[in-house]
Amino acid sequence: MTLLEPVNHQDYRDGSMQARDIAVSVPTITVHDSVARAVQVMALGRLPGLIVVDADSRPALVLPGSQVLRLAVPAAYQSDPGLARAVDEDYADTFWLELSHLRVADCLPLKPIAPVTIAADANLLQIAALMARTHSPLVAVVETDGTLLGAVTLEYLLTSLAIAGLEE
Amino acid sequence: MTGILALGIFLVAFFFIATEKANKVKVVLIAAGAMAVLGLIPGAGVFYSEHAGIDWNVIFLLFGMMIIVGVIKQTGAFDYLGIWAAKKSKGKPFRLMVMLMVITAIASPFLDNVTTIMLIVPVTIVVTSRLRIPPQPYIIAEVLAANIGGAATLIGDPPNIIIGSRAGLTFNDFLVHMAPIVVVIFVAFVFFTRVLFRKSFEYHPEHVANVMALNERRAITNPALLIRSMIVLAGVIVGFALHSVLHVEPSIVALVGAGVMLLVSRTEVTDSLREVEWTTLVFFMGLFVMVAGLVNTGVIEVIGTWVIGAFGDNYFGAATALLFGSGVLGAFFDNIPYVATMAPVVEGLVAEVPDAATGQALWWAFALGADFGGNGTAVAASANVVAIGMAAKSGHHISFWQFTKYGIIVTVLSLIMAWGYVWLRYFS
Repeated sequence: MTLLEPVNHQDYRDGSMQARDIAVSVPTITVHDSVARAVQVMALGRLPGLIVVDADSRPALVLPGSQVLRLAVPAAYQSDPGLARAVDEDYADTFWLELSHLRVADCLPLKPIAPVTIAADANLLQIAALMARTHSPLVAVVETDGTLLGAVTLEYLLTSLAIAGLEE
Repeated sequence: MTGILALGIFLVAFFFIATEKANKVKVVLIAAGAMAVLGLIPGAGVFYSEHAGIDWNVIFLLFGMMIIVGVIKQTGAFDYLGIWAAKKSKGKPFRLMVMLMVITAIASPFLDNVTTIMLIVPVTIVVTSRLRIPPQPYIIAEVLAANIGGAATLIGDPPNIIIGSRAGLTFNDFLVHMAPIVVVIFVAFVFFTRVLFRKSFEYHPEHVANVMALNERRAITNPALLIRSMIVLAGVIVGFALHSVLHVEPSIVALVGAGVMLLVSRTEVTDSLREVEWTTLVFFMGLFVMVAGLVNTGVIEVIGTWVIGAFGDNYFGAATALLFGSGVLGAFFDNIPYVATMAPVVEGLVAEVPDAATGQALWWAFALGADFGGNGTAVAASANVVAIGMAAKSGHHISFWQFTKYGIIVTVLSLIMAWGYVWLRYFS
């Protein structure tokens, strides 16, 4: 299991926490990476989602785990989920290999999606509200110039909130 | 002056709709709003006149059928049929294509063309990927079959709904006058596909087992719902057919059918309403207001007078022009706005015909031309656009010309056969 390293080592008892305090370094992918690599990165990193960065290492997209999985589900089964009932078990276990050679860019929806990002100095409530609104268990933390600092995962956020609650 | 203004607004809007430079719903709403603000439409009367305003028969017929079809979609019936067809054909390409086309052509007169395509394309992509053959020829053939089959009934193609309401033509009228030629053209088309797609047929016997491993029975998600929904659909069709006895408008039949479908399916109303294509309905409303502007300012009357003058009492000439003209224009522009615009012109022309049967023949020529014109190009009908979009999402691109090279040939042949039918049946 890959441990996610905190970006800033911070004593949580020092006062109110900001996004930079609980952000962790996460492996990222680009739109040119294959779907197989995307699934692999998420699986091996035990990540709740993936951050897709552009050529300048700025977050272009934040994909919750279910949406990373969606890249690997053939479009026909997404249009018609009932078809999935008719397939044999062998195919059902290996369906994702059918699209694994495609790039992430080939499988993204045509409508552009704004990346789920938050400023490094955002407080925990802002992070929580953003996660709740966007249904994303992963939020990219960005510097003022837009470059990626790290990511806040749902697990880290809940842990931080729990610890802060214990301190009260 | 007001006529010129209305025509100007209309043409600008049509340009944006035809070229897809802007969202078509936005375009019609802006154009309709502009006509309203400038006093070019018949005021509040636009909401109450089916001939000079919003044709609510069309809107509610579409609405009712969308709810009915939305429930049928959930049953998995098309998945069952598609997989069954693939297994029955044992992967033989022409046999598979014929079976898929027949399924499409039988369904499209009763479900609208777009829904039929949305139901058949996913299963087509799945079975062709199992057989390791390209899906594009099969998808193109299904689209062509859907547009041909949909011409057979009042509800099979949106242009028919508009024409039926404007002309007072019933479901049975369409069955009696359109279905015969549709069947003949479809049969000819099936044989012709052997030649048309001959270079696209591939057969890999080693992959047939992949298709045989599919279990079509499991595709039926809810057998009880399937039976109930088919009974309701059959009841709705019977309701359409009994119009002359019951004197109930098709829109009312569709609405009652939708209500019964919601009851028997036990679906949540909010879930069913999500299946309604609201953008399509709003598009129709805006379009009708725009056409009302042309009617109210006398533009339609001027065009109608010119057309009557051009043909005189040469009604076969008028029918020929309507059929081929609609075929050509319907091929390059979306056939729905084309039909909505031309319907009042045709109505004016028919009003001048002394003989009712000959007058009706002009409507059939118009309908045949507009419906078959929908096969002409990749953008001629919504079903074409939807199919190409679905194929692209699956990574199987169909270019404009790849579709159009087949579509034009099929359209020309369909129009010629339809013209022969119109001559033989109504003017010989």
